[in-house]
Amino acid sequence: MSTTDTPNMTGPAPVPDNYLTYSRGIWSWLFTLDHKRIGLMYLMSVLGSFFIGGIMALLVRTQLLVPEGLIMDQDQYNQVFTLHGAIMVFLVIIPSVPAALGNFVLPIMLGAKDVAFPRLNLFSYWLWMTGALMFVLALFTGGLDTGWTFYTPYSIDTGSAMGGVIPALTGAFVLGFSSIFTGMNFIVTIHRLRPPGMTWFRMPLFLWAIYGTAIIQVLATPVLGITLALLVVERAFGIGIFNPALGGDPVLYQHFFWFYSHPAVYIMILPGMGIISDLIAVHSHRHIFGYSFIAWSSISIAIFSFLVWGHHMFTSGQSELVSVVFSLITFSVAIPSAVKVFNWLATMYKGTISWNTPMLYGMGFIFIFTIGGLTGLHLGTLGTDIHLHDTYFVVAHFHYVMMGSALIAFIGGIHHWWPKMTGRMYNENWGRIAFSLVFIGFNLTFFSQFMLGSQGMPRRYGTYPADAGFQFYHVLSTAGSYILAIGFFITAGYLIQSLLGGRRAPSNPWGGRSLEWQCTSPPPHDNFSEAPAVGDCYDFSVLRWDENEQGYVWRDDVAHPGSEDVS
Amino acid sequence: MMSLLMTLAAAAPYKEATFWMPESASTVAPQVDGLFDFINIICYIFFVLVVAALIYFAVKYRQRAGQNTFEGGPTHNLALEITWTAIPSVIVIVMFVLGMQTFLDLRTAPSNSYDVSVTAQKWSWTFQHPAYAVTEAAELTVPVNRPVRLLMSSQDVLHSLFIPAFRVKQDIVPGRYTSLWFEATKPGTYQLYCTEYCGKDHSKMLATVHVLEWDEFQTRLGKLAREYEDIPESQLPAYAINRLYNRCASCHSLDGTTGTGPSFKGMWDRTQQGTTVFTDGSTLKQLQASGAEYEIPENYIRASLVQPQRHVVQGFTGAMPSFQGQLKERQIDAIVLMMKHLDTLVDADGNIIENPDLGGDEEAPVEQQEGSTK
Repeated sequence: MSTTDTPNMTGPAPVPDNYLTYSRGIWSWLFTLDHKRIGLMYLMSVLGSFFIGGIMALLVRTQLLVPEGLIMDQDQYNQVFTLHGAIMVFLVIIPSVPAALGNFVLPIMLGAKDVAFPRLNLFSYWLWMTGALMFVLALFTGGLDTGWTFYTPYSIDTGSAMGGVIPALTGAFVLGFSSIFTGMNFIVTIHRLRPPGMTWFRMPLFLWAIYGTAIIQVLATPVLGITLALLVVERAFGIGIFNPALGGDPVLYQHFFWFYSHPAVYIMILPGMGIISDLIAVHSHRHIFGYSFIAWSSISIAIFSFLVWGHHMFTSGQSELVSVVFSLITFSVAIPSAVKVFNWLATMYKGTISWNTPMLYGMGFIFIFTIGGLTGLHLGTLGTDIHLHDTYFVVAHFHYVMMGSALIAFIGGIHHWWPKMTGRMYNENWGRIAFSLVFIGFNLTFFSQFMLGSQGMPRRYGTYPADAGFQFYHVLSTAGSYILAIGFFITAGYLIQSLLGGRRAPSNPWGGRSLEWQCTSPPPHDNFSEAPAVGDCYDFSVLRWDENEQGYVWRDDVAHPGSEDVS
Repeated sequence: MMSLLMTLAAAAPYKEATFWMPESASTVAPQVDGLFDFINIICYIFFVLVVAALIYFAVKYRQRAGQNTFEGGPTHNLALEITWTAIPSVIVIVMFVLGMQTFLDLRTAPSNSYDVSVTAQKWSWTFQHPAYAVTEAAELTVPVNRPVRLLMSSQDVLHSLFIPAFRVKQDIVPGRYTSLWFEATKPGTYQLYCTEYCGKDHSKMLATVHVLEWDEFQTRLGKLAREYEDIPESQLPAYAINRLYNRCASCHSLDGTTGTGPSFKGMWDRTQQGTTVFTDGSTLKQLQASGAEYEIPENYIRASLVQPQRHVVQGFTGAMPSFQGQLKERQIDAIVLMMKHLDTLVDADGNIIENPDLGGDEEAPVEQQEGSTK
């Protein structure tokens, strides 16, 4: 199945029949049932949304260069930060890894021909599109200024000029269903479509992470859907649920909202952790350390994530006892996350670490996630959270986790699987340069926000007092965001260039052992012509570098799996 | 650890801002800061360990030219993994317990506290001192070295009261009371923020906390209690522009700029002539006919203060909250007079004139009044 012997030429031959050339024309893409094409369409859409959300972020940062606000009035600023948050959360981070990379990689990693329900998969994509269009509609029907959290009663009574609230809520509702269907599809696929030999504990850790994520998507997202639907009903028909003026309870809304949105944080970060587990092992060419600890930590994070939502509400007016209990449970989530970091480091120990772009993102992730995780301790601790809550400290913390960790893992994953998805190699040197800019820019942007927050700068402020000493950190942060943006533009540049003139990718450019590296790059339409033989996907001792192939091939002195069990 | 924190609290009543924390000026602040520093130290240790290992491994075990095959390596080590699960577990439990103790101290007001009622509304703060029958706007005056308890309610949406120097914060939820307490340890001026997003001028919903020695505090509140009762008619406009307008300022400009609400500039002319147009297309003129609601134009200003939703001016969203009950009759008089005399109170650019024909600075009308009545 793989082109392990292509003598007398450097690099692999073009793959004649692959999923990209299988059929032609726009309709063959828009109505495809192929998980790889759907994954690629998600990828384009998510990256498009990321661009728009990123522009919003730059506007926010530019506004805050001076205390009185540089470029926008208050209404515009409120809309821009709301859209930045809503787009990045609902349209970018939540679908990024599961829907874009997961769709492409999951069935191939598993050794399946497709997901369990290909039509449902296409339907999920179109639901995503519909949700995204509702967000656009929200812009044209008056805009949205509620913050991505839609807190009541503000979201109920924000003036008629902000007519975009109902379209945006409907959009988030529809996007929720897209997410639920994707999760359902993946759960069934992992349960039912594993080929012979692919036992649960032979699955790559990325699949365990996606599985944990899918459980959260299926169980938590309906709560958000119902909450947003209630909010629409309240706003449209004046039925009192969350509005105290009508006998409702605004704190109830916060409970409902965070019952979804805290698990949703793990919808964002768990798949990222899964990517990193695979990136670190493959690019260190070393067996992953503590496979079952990592696998179970994904599942325990998924379960604990349902029990900690109240830590968003320590100052909300909920009872002190409730706050104490939530603080205690919150610390329990810290442990599996710490365990993963130690396991990744132990995997690198005595490995053979290649300093290529995906691995740089992997190491960048460990650095950033360590900061993001550790600063969660200040916020989980009740006594310090009271001071830090709703300040830039929180903004910095969740950007370290959601942007610096989840999105950095996503970008690392794109680099890791880019040769597989497109059949082309990108320019490694530009990759390393762009990574450096992204890494420096990110830390400059968001580390300064920790000090801003602990010094008292509140969130969601379009202007700030000139004498409070905030401006210095705001200027640093804005400078960092520009460096970050340059890094991303360079990344877009060399990735596009690779499509036009990149070297053809071998089947296995990095030395991975999971099944996707056994098909051609790009994979054929059916992934596998026969059920692939499954071994230990973290045993890299059976591979060697091949100069002709410019990739890794099976060692001649080791038997192929299938001929006998090598694990 | 806790006893150490308590010692810190006793030893350091006031501390200048550090790299991480702003100035510390309340009894609980040293405890919060001690806890913050403790967590920071744990973070520094773990961060240095992780990053040192990361960099050391990445450099030492980097793939060198010619390394084309690899060893399998160990797959796990149960003892090691249990160790690095157990150690962080113990540390976070310590952290939780310390955090809980500080939290309960932050939340439990002493019984002998001085009480202030706080009303939050888009986008202004009102502080009422029941003991003195005094209402302050955008300024909160409290005594030093005495526990102060704020009983807070909201007129509209969620707000949150945050005083960084005191390390206290509490959301204010419409439809219920919430409370917080603090004991300031040093006289001075401190910034108060709204930290729960509440719409357009959220970032302008600020107030100043004045901490005074007990006698100064009593004198000050005593003055405030009488200020609007005793001011002669002639000084009411200056009182309104200096002492009341700060509650209007986030929405109503003085220089003609349109904000969330119409500018006060020219408002009295528009009211008198009835040229104001409402959202339903009617004009004020129609309501000023003989025997109609606003035959006396001053009544329109009064209605706008106590029932602002009744007539919303065209081009605006009707975001104004009601000031019913918050403004005394004499203060409403003052606002009406301020509208009438706005041209003498502000210059062409909308700046408040320091000494309108009444003379004196911001405090002057009150001071002057003190002298003349006693």
